[in-house]
Amino acid sequence: MPEQRWTFHQELDEIRDEIVQLGALVREFIPRGTEVLLTGDMGGALDLIEADDELDALTLRIEENCYNVLARQQPMASDLRSIVTAVWLTGELERSGDLMVNVAKAARRIYGATLDPRLCGLIERMSEEAARLVSLSLDAYVERNASLGAALADIDDALDALHGDYIEAIFDAHSSSDLGLQPAVQLALVGRYYERIGDHAVNIGQRVQYMVTGWLPEQTGAARLRAREKFLTDGAQAPESGSAEGP
Amino acid sequence: MIADLVSLLSVLLAVAVVIAALVTRRRLRSRLTLGVERLGLDPAGADADALLSVIEKAVRDRTLDDQRDRSTIGRLQEALDTLTAAVLVVDASGAIVEHNIAAGGFIEARHTDALVGAAVNELLAEALAGRSAERTLELFGPPRRSVVITTRPLGVEGARCAVAIIEDVTERRRLEAVRTDFVANISHELKTPIGAISLLAETLQSEDDPEVAARLAGRIQTESYRVGRTIEDLLELSRIEIDESRVEEAVPLGALVREACERLGPAAEQAGVTLNCCGAEIVAAIHCDRRQLVSALTNLIDNAIKYSDAGAAIEVAVVLDPDEVVLSVTDHGIGIPARDLDRVFERFYRVDQDRSRTTGGTGLGLAIVRHVAANHSGTVEVDSRLGEGSVFRLRLPISIVAIPDPQPKED
Repeated sequence: MPEQRWTFHQELDEIRDEIVQLGALVREFIPRGTEVLLTGDMGGALDLIEADDELDALTLRIEENCYNVLARQQPMASDLRSIVTAVWLTGELERSGDLMVNVAKAARRIYGATLDPRLCGLIERMSEEAARLVSLSLDAYVERNASLGAALADIDDALDALHGDYIEAIFDAHSSSDLGLQPAVQLALVGRYYERIGDHAVNIGQRVQYMVTGWLPEQTGAARLRAREKFLTDGAQAPESGSAEGP
Repeated sequence: MIADLVSLLSVLLAVAVVIAALVTRRRLRSRLTLGVERLGLDPAGADADALLSVIEKAVRDRTLDDQRDRSTIGRLQEALDTLTAAVLVVDASGAIVEHNIAAGGFIEARHTDALVGAAVNELLAEALAGRSAERTLELFGPPRRSVVITTRPLGVEGARCAVAIIEDVTERRRLEAVRTDFVANISHELKTPIGAISLLAETLQSEDDPEVAARLAGRIQTESYRVGRTIEDLLELSRIEIDESRVEEAVPLGALVREACERLGPAAEQAGVTLNCCGAEIVAAIHCDRRQLVSALTNLIDNAIKYSDAGAAIEVAVVLDPDEVVLSVTDHGIGIPARDLDRVFERFYRVDQDRSRTTGGTGLGLAIVRHVAANHSGTVEVDSRLGEGSVFRLRLPISIVAIPDPQPKED
């Protein structure tokens, strides 16, 4: 029995290492895709789009490993939460990688368009911020740091603010007729991709909170719903609606 | 009767003790013989004491050998730890059995190093299967890095194991790029205007229309001026590099800033850029080569003017710290992409070839600034954001040689 548990925990460690590898690959995609966009490097765009297959293969491998461990070891409590979190994380990370592939595809669509230096600067900054958020979310996961996981939502505000400035800069560049409508739309989508990567990092932070504490943000909303239903059936005082808060 | 019985029992007891001693001695001797044989020595004819001495000597020798081995291993480990390349050895199961300090960063690594770790594991698996392997990883970071991983199979006393060497070749690659780009750029910078002059002169020879001829002559003059400036900057750079004609004197910081700003005033006015020179009133002086520092500051301001739009402002400032003087030039121009920041101080390096051609720079200005900073044991650094502008800071670890006068007089 102790031998079996040792193997099980070794398997959990291996899954964690593979998630770290997947995260590192996604983290690397961010500056890589940004450079493709800013330099109009079509060779780099193709390389990045093809490298997504590597990401997909690794995602599948991790998921299969998770399902194998679930089926064979039937983990419970924190071990079960670790496996479930790993499955969630692969989805979040894989989607972040796909978003950078979308950036590379946008670079192809706007090939030849001259980008305003201010827009380029904001793209650089959004890219750095998105990469930082992915790194922090992975740190939270590896260190099982629920506090850092919870803080990611606030850290993401900086990226959201940059996204706002960026959209404004697109309007400015478009209205001064330096930027055509087609590139303007593509660039607006690019901004959205970076912003979504930040959101995925925030999701990872929430999943880390769940892994460590067993709490999910949706539980606050679910508790409110139960209270409202109770009010309707028992006539108790109705709870105030509000945003999801931590435990 | 009882006395006889007691003496008989005593005799029997004594005999038993003697027999037990003999048996113990024989057992001890046989164990000692076995031990001596295991040590590879000949036990024939030796008694127990002699065998014991042989064993004691062998143990002493072995202990000395072990100490020597341990110190050899320690020295080798120390030598490995001094390497900048990461070295790690794995056994047949892939478990790490030896590694140096540099390799520590790749074990249980995160982020970019996790990708290096994954590639190392993959190549070590090949090495354990008996195949040497090598791979270069281009990592975007930041910072951008080039890492070469080499793995080789090892056979230590029949047991299969493998070694991996991880080397960061970023700096080596950068220096190679600097060298090859310099040769290509210098040939381009000198050959392009000379080619244009030759072509224009050829056209001028067969041109009868005086208006066209005047235009061609004007172009020849522009191109000649351009090549002349490049050669002038190259000579200036060479002088600063050699640092032979350096004249150290006490130069008031305010005068330094004023001189550079006055030189570039007309250029700024022509470009419609406002030049704000803060610190022109500072009378504190530093020991430096006045010509070199004015040249560096002029180059920084000139660059700022070239890459600023009309209506923008440029700030030149001096900060006096206890152990250094910082001369900064801030512009709100187009800025420099993050990927080019490491290379802007190279000779002839151009962020944007097309724009450089229209602004008319030689591509040597920032290289001159870097050399001036180095000649004064200082550094030059840049912070920049595309579309927001740049700040160049010339940091000189020079102490002030004159205390500012509370009521400065006009020069």
